[in-house]
Amino acid sequence: MKKMRNKIILLMQLASMLGIWVLFSGIIWWLANSIWSSVELHDVPNATIAIAVIAMVVFLILVIILTYVFIGLQLGRDARVSNTEGNDG
Amino acid sequence: MICAALLGVVLSAGYFYYGQLTHGLGETGLNRPVYWGFYIINFVFFIGISHAGTLISAILRLCQAEWRRPITRMAEVITVVVLCIGGLHPIIDLGRPDRLLNIFLHGRLQSPLLWDVISITAYFTASSVYLFLPLIPDIALLRDRGIKPHWLYEFLAWGWQGTQQQRKVLHRAMNILMIMVIPIAVSVHTIIAYIFAMTLRTGWHSTIFGPYFVVGAIFSGIAAIFVVMITFRKIFHFEEYLKPVHFQNLSKLLLVMSIIWFYFTFSEMLTGYFAGEPHELVIFWSKLVGEYAVWLWLMLFCNFLLPVVALSIPRFRTITGIFIVSCSVIVGMWIERYLIVVPTLSHSVLAVGIYHPAVVEIMMFVGAVAAFFLLYLLFAKFFPLISIWEIQEGRDEAAAAVSRKVASYQPGE
Repeated sequence: MKKMRNKIILLMQLASMLGIWVLFSGIIWWLANSIWSSVELHDVPNATIAIAVIAMVVFLILVIILTYVFIGLQLGRDARVSNTEGNDG
Repeated sequence: MICAALLGVVLSAGYFYYGQLTHGLGETGLNRPVYWGFYIINFVFFIGISHAGTLISAILRLCQAEWRRPITRMAEVITVVVLCIGGLHPIIDLGRPDRLLNIFLHGRLQSPLLWDVISITAYFTASSVYLFLPLIPDIALLRDRGIKPHWLYEFLAWGWQGTQQQRKVLHRAMNILMIMVIPIAVSVHTIIAYIFAMTLRTGWHSTIFGPYFVVGAIFSGIAAIFVVMITFRKIFHFEEYLKPVHFQNLSKLLLVMSIIWFYFTFSEMLTGYFAGEPHELVIFWSKLVGEYAVWLWLMLFCNFLLPVVALSIPRFRTITGIFIVSCSVIVGMWIERYLIVVPTLSHSVLAVGIYHPAVVEIMMFVGAVAAFFLLYLLFAKFFPLISIWEIQEGRDEAAAAVSRKVASYQPGE
């Protein structure tokens, strides 16, 4: 029962990570689309496009940080300790 | 009981908003030429308050100021909550909220409004991540103690056990974030300033607006942190955690920000007056001695005179005194936003008009304030407002680390 519960929790966590990636990818895609329209129409200052590129990088870094922490915490778990123990923080 | 009352206020605001949705923006006091009123004022106000949350938390962490430990989470929660509330106001101001889709479907990068959407989204995302990551060890603590809803804490704890490896991962991520979040926070309010400064309107088209808004935002944000700290210290009896030293240190910061704010305000007004451009002078005199004079002088009292006097004199720099000053600053900063938006629009080049907020606008503001406290209380219901693991880390490791550091500064070491 406990193992099943742990599996469900892990699946929910993975689903939420996937949802986060979908959301952030959507934002990055939208920004890329805006940049592409601006480049095609030649009516936006280059500085604005550069800032939009930086914004894309910011979102990418945020989602990478979240993924890094998630994977890092999963890999950093002590296999001998159960999920409901162990916080000495 | 308090939550029920706050919810009642929020629902009342919702009822008034429904009336606006049904009958249109004619329900508000907005009219030619004052197209922006309470909603945009409140938008700038709330986003401004968000500023110091993450900024204070990130900068204090970066400087390794040990006294920050009980404050950072409260500050981070302020940021996330007010960003949610502030970000809704332009949508309310649109009248037809479905028009928001145009931003995503047909947005153009040359519009400062689109820059605003991008920057606020980035700031909200970064702040949420910056709030969540340091929360993980405390969520795991709640999980381990079997606090309900247990499934929620297990889900959010991401398998935290406090192992060496996990601590390293978390610290690394937090270090990157606290550096990232500072320029994002500065950019948000700079870009909000650009919404005004990038127009050609007299009184708005000013190069100083970017830093002026940032300074004002930090100023109002620190005041908001104080209001929250003092309120929850009283409600939850955090006297052991929020000690006089925290209030003394932050109040010095508030004093400095008051002086810097005044410097920017004085510069802004002086350059407008000295240039002598006729239309600028109309707005200048309307603020100084005209129909907006009461607001200007009240703003100067609330933002400069009272804070400088009260915070400079140790006798007045008590917790009660700081609370009064902070409330005064929050009121003063709202008035500042009002004086930025309304006088310029009511004295536009092509038309002159007056603006009186309607009941719906006032109720939306009251509802927004109630929503802030409600969401804050909801957060406090499920998560600790003071970072337990950081306090413990401070006790176990930081005290010794600080002693070693201070010893290393001494000559001969």
